[in-house]
Amino acid sequence: MEIGIVLFFVFFSLLLYVVLGGADFGAGVLELFSSDKNKEISRGVVYRVIGPVWEANHIWLIILLVVLWIGFPIYFNVVSIYLHIPMTLILVGITIRGVAFVIRHYDAIQDESQTIYNRLFRLGSLITPIFIGMTFAALIYGKIPLLEEQTEPLDFYETYVAPWFNLFGLFTGFFYASICAFLAATFLIGETDGEVRAVYANKANKALIAAFVFGGAVLSIGLINGNEFILTTIKSPVAIVFFTLSFILLFPLYKAIKNQKVILTRTLAVGQIMFILFAAMYPAFPELVMTNKGSVSILTDIAPPSVIRYLAIALIVGSILILPALFHLLKAFNLIKIFKK
Amino acid sequence: MENLDFARMQMAFILGFHIIFAAVGMVMPFFMITAHRKWLRTRDEVYLKLTKAWQKGVAIFFVIGAVSGTALSFQLGLLWPEFMKHAGPIIGMPFSLEGAAFFVEAVALGFYLYGWNRLNEKFHWFTGLIIGISGVSSGILVVAANGWMNAPSGFDFVDGVYSNIDPVAALFNDAWFSQALHMTLAAFTAVGFGVAGVHAYQVLKKKNIEFHKKAFKIALTFGAIAAILQPISGDISAKDVAQRQPVKLAAMEAHYETGTGVPLYIGGIVNEETQEVKYKIEIPKALSFLAFGDFNAEVKGLNDFPKDEHPPVAIVHYSFQIMVGIGTLLMFAGILFLISLKKITLSKKTWYWILFAFLTPLGFIAIETGWIVTEVGRQPWIIHGVMKTSEAVTPMPGIQYSFLMYVLLYSVLTFTAIFLMKRQIKSINKNA
Repeated sequence: MEIGIVLFFVFFSLLLYVVLGGADFGAGVLELFSSDKNKEISRGVVYRVIGPVWEANHIWLIILLVVLWIGFPIYFNVVSIYLHIPMTLILVGITIRGVAFVIRHYDAIQDESQTIYNRLFRLGSLITPIFIGMTFAALIYGKIPLLEEQTEPLDFYETYVAPWFNLFGLFTGFFYASICAFLAATFLIGETDGEVRAVYANKANKALIAAFVFGGAVLSIGLINGNEFILTTIKSPVAIVFFTLSFILLFPLYKAIKNQKVILTRTLAVGQIMFILFAAMYPAFPELVMTNKGSVSILTDIAPPSVIRYLAIALIVGSILILPALFHLLKAFNLIKIFKK
Repeated sequence: MENLDFARMQMAFILGFHIIFAAVGMVMPFFMITAHRKWLRTRDEVYLKLTKAWQKGVAIFFVIGAVSGTALSFQLGLLWPEFMKHAGPIIGMPFSLEGAAFFVEAVALGFYLYGWNRLNEKFHWFTGLIIGISGVSSGILVVAANGWMNAPSGFDFVDGVYSNIDPVAALFNDAWFSQALHMTLAAFTAVGFGVAGVHAYQVLKKKNIEFHKKAFKIALTFGAIAAILQPISGDISAKDVAQRQPVKLAAMEAHYETGTGVPLYIGGIVNEETQEVKYKIEIPKALSFLAFGDFNAEVKGLNDFPKDEHPPVAIVHYSFQIMVGIGTLLMFAGILFLISLKKITLSKKTWYWILFAFLTPLGFIAIETGWIVTEVGRQPWIIHGVMKTSEAVTPMPGIQYSFLMYVLLYSVLTFTAIFLMKRQIKSINKNA
């Protein structure tokens, strides 16, 4: 029971980080791929829309991290040792873009240094989701060598670099970056109108196509390499149902974007991400790290029941405190469109 | 140097960096809402300008504190995976609560920063108060987790196995209160004197005097009160460490031979080889009294402990001396400030402003040296008496490169923050 609650929060915070943090990264990606005129417009919109929730969007990552280390220490241990480098790169990205985002609005003097802040924000916003994608890819790529399992000595590159630095990872990174851009564009459709809205609708579609292409590449590479995780996933009926669902959703989504429907596009987009995430995680669960000799279960030697119980209670109490406040924040700044007449 | 040394240096560096921004992010909201309240009460435009100026400072420091804090929470696992494997579940409680407090803070910050002219005035002010309260709570919880490393509790450790885990007992470990109290007061002192010092310098330069004097007074009122209370908390901490970690106390005082009626050393150069302290000032029996409240109490010396359990003595001793020295100085400066509130003539003197401008960085130096005492003084242990730091470190080699990268990245951030603050002040003075 308690472990179910904790696992729910792992999935919940992962989903929210992928969606909210993703939209946040995507805003920068969109800015990067905009004409100069649109860059200025984007900048203004992004500030108005993301400013109030910027920090909250990123706390989901911390919640996820803390829940993993408290509840699933063995799993967390493997991830922190073998994915040290890409996680460090994610941190550098988060640091640079976060700081650049805030100071470009809080620098008291607006001058040419804005160009530097803008560049850092945009580039950081692109690079960070790519590294996040690479980290996820490494978990399922099946190249992580658990040192205690190896019969032959491996060098630094094979142990700490090769598991994440490969084509599969790179395309997963591009895939996630496109998803981010897509989420941001979908979100911004509802925050703008007229000509600008049409621009975002156009961008949402382009990002969707990019995500489709990169996603296809990831799948192909996985199949060619005979990736265990991908094979398990495509053989799982549940995964197939959810992937199909998310594929079918593409059609109403495409239409909703074209017709610039605000609430519908958001709902469909989030639904789609949720389906993909669930379909990807469900079949292999709980084996959520593929190693070169097998896999590591997230449920290996989880924290004792006393800890899991407190963690579950803390998560529920925390949600009761925070979610209404967060909801109110979104409402106060008119970010939930359902409340707008 | 080994991987372990670089891992320790990296941890020290990023902690040392984060603590400054965290302290500012924790304390400055209180200055901000004090000015804000004065604006609401008096409708004096200067207070509104001050609130908005400080708000920009809060936003900039908060974001740097938040991203460096995110980095820090990853670092615990990345650098010390074996520590987190065992300690993670035990000290998860304060961290999960801290996550919640940080979330509340971020939501409140969203309301506050973007709420001008959009929210009800009182509610708007209230969200500012929530920023401050949740920030201080975060700080207390993180320090409580650190307290557990000094005073591990809430579990049984038999034959290398951690069992009977009680997360609540781990949270309320023996060190949490004394450490959290000391750090909270330290943050208020450092940030109070730091912010006041910046404004004092502007007063000296005769720029926008009314504005900077008002800012100075608000910031230093907090700083002075905290500085005057700090010695009491220091005394609680010292007695606590004497009980729980006698070897740390011995290192703080470079005290090698166990004895009764032990003198207190002020200053001095430590020679770890010969175990001598030269050029010190000796206060007879004072260490016995400060540590145990009895002039003739026995104080254990370093030589009573196995040599491989000694922390580095010289650096701990020097850091402790610097911290106490600065603490004392700031306490007297705090008293001087309170007197100057009654005796207005004092604040008309140039030396008064020179003094407070000079004190700007000192509180932060005290915070850094204080953490060196806590952390280096606990070595070679990462969990006191349970796990050694060398057993906790990542097997991944090459930490020197990531250390170098963090030094670079954070140096850039530091210069950026200074650059931005300078521009803030410039624009305030121009628009006055």
